[in-house]
Order: sequence, then C-alpha cells, then structure tokens
Amino acid sequence: MPKTFLPIVEKNSSGAAPPPQKVVIDPITRIEGHLRVEVEVQNGRVTDAWSAGTMFRGIELVMQGRDPRDAWIFTQRICGV
Amino acid sequence: MTNSRLVEGSAPAFEGRLDQRGVSRREFLKFCGLMAGTLALPARYIGRIAYALETAVRPPVIWLNFQDCTADTESFLRASQPDVDDLLLDILSLNYHETIMVPSGRMAIKSLDDTVRDYAGQYICVVEGSIPTLDGGVYCGIGGRTALSIAQQVCSQALATLAVGTCAWEGGLAAAVPNPTGAVGVRDAVPGLATLINLPGCPVNVANLSATIVHYLTFQQWPETDGAGRPLFAYGEEIHEECPRHDHYEHDEFVQEWGDLAHRQGWCLFQMGCRGPDTKHNCPSVKWNDGTEWPIGAGHGCLGCSERRFWDRHSPFYVPGDD
Repeated sequence: MPKTFLPIVEKNSSGAAPPPQKVVIDPITRIEGHLRVEVEVQNGRVTDAWSAGTMFRGIELVMQGRDPRDAWIFTQRICGV
Repeated sequence: MTNSRLVEGSAPAFEGRLDQRGVSRREFLKFCGLMAGTLALPARYIGRIAYALETAVRPPVIWLNFQDCTADTESFLRASQPDVDDLLLDILSLNYHETIMVPSGRMAIKSLDDTVRDYAGQYICVVEGSIPTLDGGVYCGIGGRTALSIAQQVCSQALATLAVGTCAWEGGLAAAVPNPTGAVGVRDAVPGLATLINLPGCPVNVANLSATIVHYLTFQQWPETDGAGRPLFAYGEEIHEECPRHDHYEHDEFVQEWGDLAHRQGWCLFQMGCRGPDTKHNCPSVKWNDGTEWPIGAGHGCLGCSERRFWDRHSPFYVPGDD
C-alpha cells in the first residue's frame, strides 16, 4: 500500500464504520489564484471532495456598458500568468 | 524551528549563493548597473550598491496575493536579463509567497505566522492585488481568514509595506465602477502605516520593485516619494515628455487610423487614445520584457496604468483624452 500523509482511521470495536474525517487544504500553493480543497476521508480513502475558488472580483460586472474595444484590456487581467 | 536573529551577510557567502544559482560576478555587476540607472544614480554608485548587496542582512519578505491576477509576481519572476529574479532571491529571504512556496494549507499559514512573529518590525511585506471590504470581506479568503484581516495584521507589523501593482495601491481593476466587492488598496485597508511605498503599474515593473529594495539596502532609507507614495525615481517624469514620439506631437503629426502611413512611420498616438500626457512612469527609459520594448515603442498607446483610477478615467481607451 502506498504511503499516505492522511491518517488511517481504524475501525472501532463494534465494527461500525467510524465517522469520516475532513482534511482542509487552504491555501493550495504553487498555482495562480486562490484555491481551497476539502477532502472527506474514510478508512484512509477519499470518499468526497470539494474545491472552491476563494477570490471574486466581479470583472463581468465591471465590463458591463463599456466600449467593446476595451474588452481585451479588462479580460486580459483575469489571469496575468 | 525558526531563528529570529537576522544574520549579517558576508561577501564570500553571497558569492557562494550566486555561484549556486549560476549567476556570474559580471552579471551581478550588470544588475547593480541597472539598479543605479533605474535610480538615476551616477555610475560611481555601482560599487556601493554591489558592496551593500553583498553584505546586507537578507530581509525576510512576505508576499501577499489578494484580489490579483499574479501579473506582478510574473513580472518579478520572469525577468531574466540579468537574472534579476535569481539575484533578488539571493538578496531577499522570501519566506511566504503562495505562488512559489513548497508548503500548502496549514503549513503555508505556519510559515506566514512564524515570520510575522519572529521578525516583527523587520520583514518587508509586499502586497499584490486589492482588498475587498464589502460584506465583511468575504470576496477574498486565505486559510479561512479574509484578505482584510490578513493585511491588517501583516502590514501593520512590517518594517515596510510595498504595494505592487495598481490594484494594491488604490483598488485597480476590481475597484473599477461599479466596484462590486468594495475593493480598496492597502492605503485604505490599513490606514496609517508608517512606511507604505506604492509601486503602481499594471503590472509593476520589476526594475522599479528591485530598485526600491536596493535603495533601502544601500542607503538604509526608502526612496523619496510623491504625494501618492510613489517613488520619484520611477514616477517623477511624464511619459509624454520622455516619449520618443514627442516631436511628432509638437508638429501635429498624428496617427489617425491603425496601420495608416503615420502609424507605420511611428508618429504620435495621442489621437488613438494614448494617455502618455496624463501618466508619470519611467517606461520610456526602463522599458519592459528585460528592457527590450514598451507599449508606445510597439505602436500602441499608453493606457496610463500607473495613474489613479485609470480603469475609469482612461476608458474608453481608444478615445483621445484631454490634451
């Protein structure tokens, strides 16, 4: 079995599945932007996961009503990488 | 385990670090020359700058990304001639920068907290991107905290805060009408900072960011600034006055249409919406892309990106501004 940084949750004595654990990684680094990932783990396996961008500027709203020739200048700044 | 004592630098140790990164002595001195030139210092200062960089205490740096596009980071990391980013990474101790740091999640936040705690009053805080204030600041969160709360904590304990890019200065793109998230710059999010240097531009020019830090390491003081906190060496001259097309302006020789004869002959771009007359920035001399070109040189007007509220005041960008 490959090594994992996630804790292995052992079964309790009754044999019933233990409650899932939640692992939250925020911020995710070495990317452009702001990302948060939540992972649900049961018995050392990922059972569910959620990701969220945690930054909003509203560039769509800023662009409304502007000269269409300017659109590239605004949208270029969505990501500078 | 962190050591809260800043270590005095030494020339042999510095040269060793440069060697490791493959930066030659010649490239290092070229960098010092570029810095002297950017700061408008005479060539005799090159030796003094070199000595200061070799022996300086490496200041810890916390680089915070908020409502940004990471273009200022790109500007910082993509410079290559001489290897400005390599040199800066030797001169500085970049303790926290989400885009390039190894730790993630809680371990990343630990790097931030450790640096703030161990080097309070000694670290440089670089801020990229604006800070949203509406609805309790929910529009930008890192590690479960709002950008506003992080900025207030980290900037207020810094030796100095450098707001890089126009967004970090006064809100920039996110703050353009109708400013959906209540975005502001550092000066409004954390008012009353003892030392706040604003380095606007979309993005910041790495030569100006480097020169600001080099100025501090060489003279133990931050460069002189204008009323908006922008260093005069970079934001003291109007682009229009320094523009190589300025003579055409004086002679009423204007580009009227993209690709017309005047455009092909490099005439003035004022009628095409150039904002050079309303913009102070050292682009004509420092240029971009390792000093090779700049917008007006490439045949497009200046957007005036280092000026106050340029997204609203200077748009529509292709309509001539006030003379």
